[in-house]
Amino acid sequence: MVKTVGRNSERSGATDRLRRGAAAAVRGGFFRITVVATALFLYLPVVVVGYLSLSPGSQPSIPLDGATLRWYVAVLSDARFVRGLVTSGVIGVVAAVTGTGLGLLAARTIVRARLPRWLRAFVGVVVAIPLFIPTVVVALGIGITAGQVGLGFGLWPVVAGHLYWVLPFSTFLIASRYATIDGRMTEVARDLGADGITTFRTITLPQLWPALVASVLFAFALSFNEFLLTFFLAGSGMTTMPLEIYGKVRIGATSFLNAASVLVLLFSGAVAAVAASLEPPT
Amino acid sequence: MRGSTDRLPWPIPNGPDQRRTLVDVVLAALPTALAVALGVVPLLSLVVESVSPPVTLSNYAALSESVYLTVLVRSLGIGVVITGACLAIAYPVTYWLAHACPPRYRLPVLVSFTLPLWLNYVVLNYTWVWILATDGIVNTVLTAGGVVDRPLDLLRTASGAGIGPIELPGPSLGLGFVHIYLPYVLLTMYVSMERLDYRQVEAARDLGAGSLRVFVDIVVPETYAGAIAGTLIVYARIAGAFATPQILASPSEQMIAQIITTQFYDVLDYPFAAALSVVFLLVVVVGFGIGALSTDVRAELKRW
Repeated sequence: MVKTVGRNSERSGATDRLRRGAAAAVRGGFFRITVVATALFLYLPVVVVGYLSLSPGSQPSIPLDGATLRWYVAVLSDARFVRGLVTSGVIGVVAAVTGTGLGLLAARTIVRARLPRWLRAFVGVVVAIPLFIPTVVVALGIGITAGQVGLGFGLWPVVAGHLYWVLPFSTFLIASRYATIDGRMTEVARDLGADGITTFRTITLPQLWPALVASVLFAFALSFNEFLLTFFLAGSGMTTMPLEIYGKVRIGATSFLNAASVLVLLFSGAVAAVAASLEPPT
Repeated sequence: MRGSTDRLPWPIPNGPDQRRTLVDVVLAALPTALAVALGVVPLLSLVVESVSPPVTLSNYAALSESVYLTVLVRSLGIGVVITGACLAIAYPVTYWLAHACPPRYRLPVLVSFTLPLWLNYVVLNYTWVWILATDGIVNTVLTAGGVVDRPLDLLRTASGAGIGPIELPGPSLGLGFVHIYLPYVLLTMYVSMERLDYRQVEAARDLGAGSLRVFVDIVVPETYAGAIAGTLIVYARIAGAFATPQILASPSEQMIAQIITTQFYDVLDYPFAAALSVVFLLVVVVGFGIGALSTDVRAELKRW
């Protein structure tokens, strides 16, 4: 096989090299165009809304006849929107911290626990359920169950739903870091007389730390932006940032909404970017 | 992924060993209890709710009305089209990223391509309103440039086209969907693409294979696990999406989650909403069953 190729390339020589060089250039061009187009596709809409949020009028006309930050001031002094923002922030912190704690326990179970393999796999599958089933089914299921057990609608069902929603992300993020820690180190620590808590604090925790912080940040971003679960579970007594935005989107596109969108995107983007710098996404 | 404590090179005394197993069970119980209480129990109560009051199949009988079937088939079809579109974009992009991108740009590009995962999808969908509306960016540019006389109907317009039972989504619905689900597929595909040994591609090219041949015979078989993982993660969310069709679909493109939500929110017919959900879930799960059985895919999902 190798011999044939050798003879072939000798025979065709320069033209063949030229042809293959041209093919590689075309290929490179194709890939570069796809990548640039994808980047534009993902971010151009956001840039457009950012531009339109500077509109002096409540309904931007393209091109804008001036630029002002008045809609940002309006958003941040809108009592309903700020209340939604604060509620989303509080739910996000609770869901992120609790979710990361439970995610750590789940990750430890999947990666390290001295339990039968099927049991660890079971924990992994149960935790992963919300990744693969339609969110609307999860939301309806939790909504109906909350009604049946007398929890009704409101803050607690929303927090529970968000906690469940962020759990698989936290679990698998922490598990992939957990798996890189050498299990023999913890065994040695224990042989030297350290108890479980000391071993965890001095050996495992320092190595897991970046993944835990990243998990809190990612989970916060997920919960902060989650719409559908909240829509099903919130009832009429509470509002969150995504519910507020959705309500306004349904009414119509305005400069107010554009400014609110930019604020929300910048905030979530910053949180996620810090998380990604601590724990790269793969 | 496997814990290296599975087989230790030295024996462990029996007493403390049992106590540690007990600790493991207790620590495992907390997250498992939450996942069962909020995942398994609600699914069971959906099934129970769907056959109430007392015990009846009338909610399922009502499902056979053609309007619901049409919406169900449309939702599943749109899921197929959008998942396919995401994969078609993700293949060249992640291939470039894993094998042609200069290493120092690799991580920043990957992070920026996956950042929309953590952004608000209601907001991301909303941004397309300003791109595609009659007074939006695209139409302003096209009319000012004299390409069209009057603005095109791009926002909330059905495509009217389809392949067999599969309807193609209208422009705004399609773009909005790809915008929010592409990052998931990019992430799972990248994980697989990174592990594709580039020397295989070079060897195939040296042996005279063209780009199509390299793609079909090397890239696809080496990375299909990532493609399936991405499909598993986005398909059900697309077929079961609520906010995106509410914001970007034409009234004739109603999807299953919108009907479920209406039954839950406005009609307050919980049993019927539950029956719709159960049928939808069953269809999706049966479709997934095949993929999830493969050990390759399971390994891939664990990595993710």
